[in-house]
Order: sequence, then C-alpha cells, then structure tokens
Amino acid sequence: MLARSTLRLAAQPPALGAAPAGARNMATLREIELRLKSVRNIEKITKSMKMIASTKLNKAQRAMQAGKQYGVANSEVFQHAPAEDPAKRKLFIVISSDKGLCGGIHSSVTKATRRIFADTESSVESDSPIMVIGDKSKAQLSRALGKNLVMSFNQIGRDIPTFADAAGVADLIIKSDVKYDSIAIVYNKFVSAISYESAVMEVETEEALKNSPGFKAYEMEEEVTKDLAEFALANAVYAALVEGHACEQSARRNAMDNASKNASDMIGKLQMQYNRGRQASITNELVDIITGASAL
Amino acid sequence: MSSATWRNVFTYNKYTQIAARALRQSLNESERVQAEKRGLTILRYQNWENGVGGPQTHLVPPVEKEIKQGVV
Repeated sequence: MLARSTLRLAAQPPALGAAPAGARNMATLREIELRLKSVRNIEKITKSMKMIASTKLNKAQRAMQAGKQYGVANSEVFQHAPAEDPAKRKLFIVISSDKGLCGGIHSSVTKATRRIFADTESSVESDSPIMVIGDKSKAQLSRALGKNLVMSFNQIGRDIPTFADAAGVADLIIKSDVKYDSIAIVYNKFVSAISYESAVMEVETEEALKNSPGFKAYEMEEEVTKDLAEFALANAVYAALVEGHACEQSARRNAMDNASKNASDMIGKLQMQYNRGRQASITNELVDIITGASAL
Repeated sequence: MSSATWRNVFTYNKYTQIAARALRQSLNESERVQAEKRGLTILRYQNWENGVGGPQTHLVPPVEKEIKQGVV
C-alpha cells in the first residue's frame, strides 16, 4: 500500500514549468549567449552602415549646395511670371529612392502627397496624375492612390543623382501623353543634418508661362519658351533629386546611429543577465556539492 | 542660319545631353574620366494603368560587355 502511494507520487508529472533547476539555467544561458552573439553582429553591421552613410552624406551635401542653385535660378523666372489662374490639373512628381533603412524618408513624402489629395480646400482634381521616382514610395502610393499612378522610375539614388537622370525623367514626362496645367514636385527638404521635412516645388508649363502677364517683359520667341519650360522641369527635378538624396543619407546615418545605440544597450543588459545567470548556476552547483558532501 | 529643325525631333533636354556627351568625349584623358561620371544614368521606367504596372524598360540600354576569349 505504501509502495503504491510512493509510486503514485513519483509518477505525478512535475509542476508546469518547474524543470530541474540546473537544467533550466543552462538552457537560458545558452539562449542568452546566442542572443548576445547575434546582437553583437547586428551592432557591427549598423555601425559600419552609419560610417558609410556619413561619408556619403558629405559628398551628397556638397552636391546639394551646387544643385540647389539650379532650383533657385529656376524659380526666379516663375516668381517674375506667376501663372494667372490657379492650376486645375496638377501633375505630381514624388521623389524618393529605392533603398530602405533610412528612417521615415519615403513615408514622409508619401504622407505629404496623400495629405494634398485629402485636403478638400485645395482645388486638386481627384484624378490628378502622379509619377513616382523610387521603388519604396511607389509601393506605398500604389496601395494608397494607385489609380492616379501614371509612370514610375527607379535606379536613381544609388549614387549622387546626375543631371542626366533628371533630363531623362523630364524627357519621359514631356513625351508621355499626360495632360496637366502645372507640375508639383514633392520631395524632402534638407533642414539640417538631423532633420528634414517634406516640401512642394511648383513648375509651370509652357502655356502657363505664355499666358502669364509678367512673362511678356522677357520678350522671348515661341520656340525658346518651349525650350525654357522643358529645361526648367529638368532643373527642378534635378534640384529635388539632389536634395532628396542628401536627406536620405542623413536619415540613414541617424537611423543606423540609433540602431547601434540600441544594440549596445541591449548588449549591456544581456551581458549582465548572462553573468548573473552563470554565477547563479555555479552557486547552485556548489550548494548541491556541499549539501551532498555534508550528507555523507 | 536656317531655323533649327531639331525641335521637331527631340526636346531641348535631349539636345543639351547630346551636346554634353560630345563635349565630354572631346576632353583630355583625366578630365574625361571625371566628366564621364557626370553623364551616367541607369534610369528605368514603367508605365502604369489602373494601378497595374507595365514592364520596366531601361532608358539607356546597358552595354553588354563581351566576354573576352582567352588568348592561347
């Protein structure tokens, strides 16, 4: 009878989660070790990405200073010859890039575009065409405003954008059969090395320039006006591309910097946990040995 | 000079790109290498209809590098 009760006691499954104490510590120690190794690798990767992004940022900033002058010279003509009536059908060009891991660059530009469309005060037609540069924004916009998407471009932004890129984009826009009264370029404006904000650049079309009263003062011929409109579009796209590229590099550097800091915090915490666990298991083993020895 | 007829064929941007390419190819060796980088573009584009994208096409088709046969 007593034997049966002891057998029953021994046959009872152990309480949930109460594995033998030494074995559990070993299992979690192994887990912590693995996590520590992988977080260390991640920290190395994010640190190197940060280094690369900060060297690229220097180059990109210099190119941006030069490229912005094109945009400034452009807008001077449009300031002296503003369009008479507000544009009804705007073509939106959204500037972002193909690569990720750069913080909120792509969503900032996408959100700005969606805000313009959702804003009922502005006189933007709901079927205004959109063209996107960059795969990341293309994916976001094709989900949100997919019907308005007309053309998309990629492979820009691997290196500093060239005027050849901007001229190619402008040519494709002009040759496509898209109808518009004016063009709005949505891009990220470089505020400082740690912050950026989305902005819109307006470009006028040839007809808007011709009908504008201030433009008569320039006394241009017909054909040259068409040239000016095309060149102005390429200029504006170039300025926006270069500034967007600089914003992307700075955002990537900041994001990788934060990631490295978080990773090193995690490494510190995990290291503490690991040491405590190791010392606890050693202490347990010592206690077992000593009680075993004292029982003899 | 007769009035230019290139405007019927291509845009002013294409005109400047052609002129720039001619200028870059006429530079001396070291300057040419620097300037060639400014003329590079690997742009790809695709047309969209009703939320569906078409095929992606290169603006400037990449030059296929021929595999050199080993010299015996």
